[in-house]
Amino acid sequence: MLILAIMAVGIVVGYLCFPIRWSRANAGLQLVCTAVLIFCMGVALGSRPNFWEELAELGIDSLIFSLLPIGLSVALVYVLTRKFMKRGEE
Amino acid sequence: MVLVAIISLLCGILCGQLLFSPQMTEVFALLADATLYLLMFAVGISVGLNKQVFRRLREYHFKILVIPFGIVVATIAAGFLASLISGLPFYEGVPVACGLGWYSLSGVLLTNLAGAKVGTLAFLSNLLREIFSFLSIPFVAKHFNHYTAIAPAAATSEDTTLPLLMKYTSEEVVLMAVFNGVLCSAVVPVLIRFFYAFLR
Repeated sequence: MLILAIMAVGIVVGYLCFPIRWSRANAGLQLVCTAVLIFCMGVALGSRPNFWEELAELGIDSLIFSLLPIGLSVALVYVLTRKFMKRGEE
Repeated sequence: MVLVAIISLLCGILCGQLLFSPQMTEVFALLADATLYLLMFAVGISVGLNKQVFRRLREYHFKILVIPFGIVVATIAAGFLASLISGLPFYEGVPVACGLGWYSLSGVLLTNLAGAKVGTLAFLSNLLREIFSFLSIPFVAKHFNHYTAIAPAAATSEDTTLPLLMKYTSEEVVLMAVFNGVLCSAVVPVLIRFFYAFLR
């Protein structure tokens, strides 16, 4: 909830008073933050004591349980949005 | 962006393995929280700068539910299919898929419900879903449509994958992604508990 509240504050700031000439700097900040976030995710993963053993034992199953949901979600959402959303609405 | 994501992830894994002590990883967890807050503020500003987007969103009505509905139904179906392929019982496999990319919650929940092995599988597979989302969103946005780019991200579309959606789609799709992420995140604990109890 805190994340959404912070984003809502950002929306209000952007809507009311953020100078448009700073939007490129804002986009750059987003890129840096994303890189830091993924780096931290990697640290959390790599610091698990049995990381390589877990990856070797459950790696294939993890792949199956990640790729299939992504593939089917993309397929179904694509079909549904083609049916219910007008072309160009996005 | 994708290259940045891959390099950041690999550097993080290597640093986690070779450089940082367990105490340091707690510091990185705090850093991740602070970075996420800053990121959300910056993404909010980008959305707020586009004044047209709110009027357009009101025009969607019930259609705003189409994307989360599609993601949840497809993910449950994928959970059954993945269970058949991997040989895992449905009552463990379907809840693993129902993490919808929220690896921290699904890992902890399933460790408590089904033990460490299933919990670790939930953690790894949902983390991979988030990572593959980073890699696939640009492709899906280009070759399918902008709405469909939300599908790989599932519950993460309100936070970590949102900047990527911002870059490759539009402010309007970003607001739909936030709505989708909130809804998907809300149903994750419900789906995991329901399918674990119902399919046993």
